[in-house]
Amino acid sequence: MEAYIYNLVNLIAIYAILAVTLNFIMGYAGIYSLAHAVFFGLGAYVAAWVALHVHPSIFVTLAAAMASAAALSLLLALPALRVRGEYFVAASLGLQVLAVTVFSEWKSFTGGIGGVLAIPPADVFGVEVFKPQHFAIVSLIALIVVIGLINALVHSSFGRNLRAIRDSESAAASFGKNVPMIKTLSVVISAALAAVAGALYASYMSFINVESFTLDTSVLVMAMVIIGGTGTVAGPIVGAALLMLLPSAISWIDFLPQTEVGALQQIIYGLGMTLLMIFRPGGIVGRRAGV
Amino acid sequence: MLAIQLAITGLQTGALYALTAVGFSLIFGSTRIFHFAHGATFVIAAYLFYWVYGTGWGLVPGVLAATLGAVFFGLVLDRLVYVPIQRHEGSFFTVFVASFGVGIAVQNVIGMIFGRGFTSVSTPLSRSAEIIPGVYVSPLAWIAMLCTALLLGGLHFFLRRTHTGAALRALADDPELVRTFGLNPRRIAATAFVVGSALVVPAAIITSATTGLNPTIGHHVMLISLAATIVGGIGSIPGTMLAGLLLGLAESLALLVVDSQWTEAVTFAILFAFIVIRPSGLLGRVVAH
Repeated sequence: MEAYIYNLVNLIAIYAILAVTLNFIMGYAGIYSLAHAVFFGLGAYVAAWVALHVHPSIFVTLAAAMASAAALSLLLALPALRVRGEYFVAASLGLQVLAVTVFSEWKSFTGGIGGVLAIPPADVFGVEVFKPQHFAIVSLIALIVVIGLINALVHSSFGRNLRAIRDSESAAASFGKNVPMIKTLSVVISAALAAVAGALYASYMSFINVESFTLDTSVLVMAMVIIGGTGTVAGPIVGAALLMLLPSAISWIDFLPQTEVGALQQIIYGLGMTLLMIFRPGGIVGRRAGV
Repeated sequence: MLAIQLAITGLQTGALYALTAVGFSLIFGSTRIFHFAHGATFVIAAYLFYWVYGTGWGLVPGVLAATLGAVFFGLVLDRLVYVPIQRHEGSFFTVFVASFGVGIAVQNVIGMIFGRGFTSVSTPLSRSAEIIPGVYVSPLAWIAMLCTALLLGGLHFFLRRTHTGAALRALADDPELVRTFGLNPRRIAATAFVVGSALVVPAAIITSATTGLNPTIGHHVMLISLAATIVGGIGSIPGTMLAGLLLGLAESLALLVVDSQWTEAVTFAILFAFIVIRPSGLLGRVVAH
């Protein structure tokens, strides 16, 4: 029972990192990405590879994961600079679909459908962390650092520039703001921090495969942000906790077969998103008037 | 021979893409509602046909059920979701999320009822015949192309020659002006949902009899519809049609060089190139921003 709770804490922390970083571009830069799981996955695969072939230290795996996700995120920044709104949703959806194909076909790196097995546990200053209750310290510290970083960014002049761009790109440009640079940077930061979640996930689970990085994951993370409250600090964390607790809550229903838990979870948050948009577009934490 | 075979398959796929995408493009172009649940309409129509036809009730009831289901779903969504949202605010994002949520729910409900695996309907028309040595074409390919030609021809006539069609085009230009002419923009928008949703039906039925179905096919349908709408140029029905054909052909001809699991990557590459190089699309007049 204790292990079960700590396991949930770890998963909530990892997904909360994803939600907080997605909220950074969705809520403050107005970039609605359906490709967040791509960076989650890339971070996980790179961390797994580095831990297996180079060094298992968490600082090495994190750095490698962040650097590669930052590099790949330029591919997402490119369309984001040219278009917004509906066009960008399409571009990110395409990138997500493409990434799943690459993850399942690039067998030498990702292990294909079978995935990567026996990833060494996280090594923090020479100590191997493999028990869920110990890993919870690592994942919670990572979450707090990510939240702190994002908050500092949002409240800095960079954050003000982002909001200015979200509200009116041409107005921001006419005030002499370097719009393409600011947008690119926000995408790079968001992707690099999402890769932190990926690296943690890989060393925590010790097994990863493409199933964890599909469109469903991107959608789940987006639902966390939206249900919690887009553009708020607490929203994504509340959303992540709620949606991660949902499967356990559903499994209390005894007449429901185990195989249907995932489907019922998706139905609940799908309809939840729709109802919130009709009655409370700001999300649970957000103000009633919407973002 | 292979190239001819793939070109014909590509035309068949492209024709169905064109129909689906034009449905989305018509709704989005005239109402500015980002109807992401268009993929769900496709899934509903396809599975209703699969269920009614598969139970042995025959072709006509199957087509009828699929059409009624698709149109009903489009109308209900417009009335119960989009209208209330647009009453307090109409930002692209709010509508998109609401629509997206419905899409997820539909996909999973269908998965729970019909199973999550691949299914297909077998009809007497599915069997391929050799038309020239080495090239096999099933009658469904011709039906797909004929359906597309007839329906899109009909749509062109409807938009250009009837009052309702003119009102739809006017709605795309300026909803306020439509109101001053004594027409009800909500009524016209509902028409767009009826026509746009109905256009999906032949594509859904023929797909269920050729390449087969699974509940997540809605995402693929949506990627194609979005890609064709953007590549063709938002607001341009002929552009969307052309882009749908182009995407189908490209996907099929790509098999000459790459394995089949990469076909979606081809779609994405074309879409990406257009977004970066020419965001206004093939025949579009509005610029993306």
